[in-house]
Amino acid sequence: MTAASDRLELSRLVHRFGLGPKPGEYLQLLAGGIPQARAKILSHRSDPGLSALVTPPFNDVGQAPSDPTAASAYYTEIYDQSVTVAIWWMDRMVLADSPFIERMTWFWHGHWATSINKVQFARPMKIQNDTLRTHALGNFKDMSRAMVQDCALIYWLDGEENVAYSPNENLGREFMELFTLGVGNYSQSDVHQAALGFTGYNVDLTAGTVSFDPKMHERSPVSVLGKRQVFDAVSLSDWIVSRPENAKFIARRLWFRFISTTVEPPASLATVFEDRDISVLINTIARNPAMRRPQYSQAKSPVEWFVAACRALRVTPSKLPESAAVQWLLGSMGQFPFNPPSVGGWPYDEAWLTAAAMQYRINMAQNLVQYGDITPLTSVPKSEIVQAAADWLGVAQWSTRTERALNQAVSDPARLTLLALNAPEYLVSA
Amino acid sequence: MSPCDFNRRQFLKYSGAAGAATIAASLSMDDVAQAASVTPLPVGTPILVIVTLYGGNDGLNTVVPYLDPAYLSNRPDMSLDAAEVLPLSDSLALNGTMTGFQSLWSANKLAIVLGTSYPNPSLSHFASMAIWQSGSPVEDISSGWIGRYLDALPHDPFRAIGTDSTLTPLLAGVRRAGSMVPISGIQIPWGSLGTQIAQFANTSKQDTELIADAAGSVADLYALSATLTPVLKTPPPTSASPLAQQLDVVATMITANVPTRVYSVSLSGFDTHADELSQQNALVGQLSDAVTAFLTQIGTTPRADDVVVMVYSEFGRRVQANGGAGTDHGTSAPVFVAGNRVAGGFFGEQPSLTNLVQGDLAVVVDFRDIYASMLEDVLGTEAGKILNNWSTKLNLITPVS
Repeated sequence: MTAASDRLELSRLVHRFGLGPKPGEYLQLLAGGIPQARAKILSHRSDPGLSALVTPPFNDVGQAPSDPTAASAYYTEIYDQSVTVAIWWMDRMVLADSPFIERMTWFWHGHWATSINKVQFARPMKIQNDTLRTHALGNFKDMSRAMVQDCALIYWLDGEENVAYSPNENLGREFMELFTLGVGNYSQSDVHQAALGFTGYNVDLTAGTVSFDPKMHERSPVSVLGKRQVFDAVSLSDWIVSRPENAKFIARRLWFRFISTTVEPPASLATVFEDRDISVLINTIARNPAMRRPQYSQAKSPVEWFVAACRALRVTPSKLPESAAVQWLLGSMGQFPFNPPSVGGWPYDEAWLTAAAMQYRINMAQNLVQYGDITPLTSVPKSEIVQAAADWLGVAQWSTRTERALNQAVSDPARLTLLALNAPEYLVSA
Repeated sequence: MSPCDFNRRQFLKYSGAAGAATIAASLSMDDVAQAASVTPLPVGTPILVIVTLYGGNDGLNTVVPYLDPAYLSNRPDMSLDAAEVLPLSDSLALNGTMTGFQSLWSANKLAIVLGTSYPNPSLSHFASMAIWQSGSPVEDISSGWIGRYLDALPHDPFRAIGTDSTLTPLLAGVRRAGSMVPISGIQIPWGSLGTQIAQFANTSKQDTELIADAAGSVADLYALSATLTPVLKTPPPTSASPLAQQLDVVATMITANVPTRVYSVSLSGFDTHADELSQQNALVGQLSDAVTAFLTQIGTTPRADDVVVMVYSEFGRRVQANGGAGTDHGTSAPVFVAGNRVAGGFFGEQPSLTNLVQGDLAVVVDFRDIYASMLEDVLGTEAGKILNNWSTKLNLITPVS
């Protein structure tokens, strides 16, 4: 008999640090015990699951043609690519056998939240996504260096408008407030001076490249957080990331999204991030005793819910007959990859649990059950099928409420799956 | 579209006994009690419609100090000259796209509260929006000011409704929250699936707070659907602007006597750090058109005098333009309050464009003076309890004679 706390901890590990279990995975991991399961979930190796992934080229589409018919085709193409790149990423999340790296990339996308709504082109977003994946478990100093030279981020925050004779504060402010230090850990003067340090970077948006123009860069020393020197984007990023507030801020951001949005992390958490090693930090978080305590539940975001359901039902998002429906339903639930509502990223917990989201979730679940593989339930005796659904989907325990509802569908595995995907215990990582 | 006009009998038909009967087999009466208790909002009950402008709307290009030399000299590529504005006084004018607001002003139905913000304004979008939505500039609290209004009353998913898919923070209380109703309407599954999913609305002793919230979202969906599915069966025209579509849905619910006291709608895109002029002109034009059309529509109904619209953003923008013909984050800006019962005219005063406070416009009016008026004179509740003992207010609403 497995302890309830083991089932809970494993459920959190597979849903929060993975992206939901594939069929059979939850019971298999449970049998091996938590330490072994944790090690497996937190590993990232070459991934055979990704051999099925098809990556479109996302070529540089260049400027819009002047011929009206050609221009119309061009705009259709860039719109289609903006959907394709998001579905491509969700394919990747779904197909991965070791989804930890995708989970971390997903976290970092919400952290450096950049929207294709303004960027328009898939190519720079895909390049940013590759950059975030490269550094997702690496060193935050390297990640930050790469991001201040990232085409999509610079364009998103008007970096190409930021020139020495007339600085634009958007990138300088959000870099300190949202990406590295947190509000209150810098002054308005630091924002202005940091903006000067970030001057002189131009983007070729369709190519997704960045160039540096020394003539537009501030060549006099500026004073940021008490240090006065001539900065460029890299030296400025290094200086800001070296501040102790950065370790506290990043540790809190990870804790917030992986453990709790209401309980603060232990003060000691920032100390493991002194070297800015993301892997060490997230591994420490995954081993925190809070993982076994019931009160640390978190709501799944729409993409997290959708990806987990696709993994369980072996649905590859790009193979669903209507990608427009995927986009519309996820968008209606409030979340579509590469399209965060603002540079602050997506909301969390209660914000996702609205009546409006519920109706679209039911609709999406109907699609998934129609096209998905429900064989994990089809040969199970009726008396065991409700428990089998929990084991399949990685749910620690159904409540008596949910058990009662599921018990009415024991003769109909498709209906039971549809109900289980909408059960409160599946919408929330308990 | 023709919103169906509800009378009490119809409400019971859609939401009471009939609604309960279809799901009663698996759901206790308590679970559908909300739906059954729905009563139409009596005509004469004031309704507040809150319009949030996300991104920080440039107050100086909305209510324009069009003759001020400092305005013109600080914004060489993006000032509006006398030919591009709609004068309201010898110093202030509306952005030329806001002809609707001009007509409301002429009809004495538009209050413009100048220089509004709070002490030591934050230049962060998120910190400042959190302050406006929580209604608490001093203490960092996570509940919204309308959420706290809901906290003091029994749970009713109709009392406050927003049109986003995620919960708007201003509607989130400590114990209660407003409901989110998408502009495409509310729909629950038919038949046995509907009956089975309805059971998730039951709470269980094993539920954590969030799991109980998930169950609550099912309960709210069913309760809302019983009344709103028939009311919102025709979605607004997609050709309308996003704000116009939201207000169209709100107008439909108001006209159908849905018992909602507060509606929350929003418009995004105001973070104009670069190439501001055309973007911001278009956005404030949409705002003016949508709000005016909404009030005109309501004006033809028995609820003409009930509705008050309040429009705010998290901050205004810097006086001086940046090099990209845009503006960076600033501080105070005008707040609009519109409706038949609104005392039209200017409140507060225009802050000086030369005598700045830490490089930005001074704060003349604290937004809590506006919130207090909305709480007391529209929602009929004591403002001090919701705004941490705040005790002053502007007289924005004309008392019923």
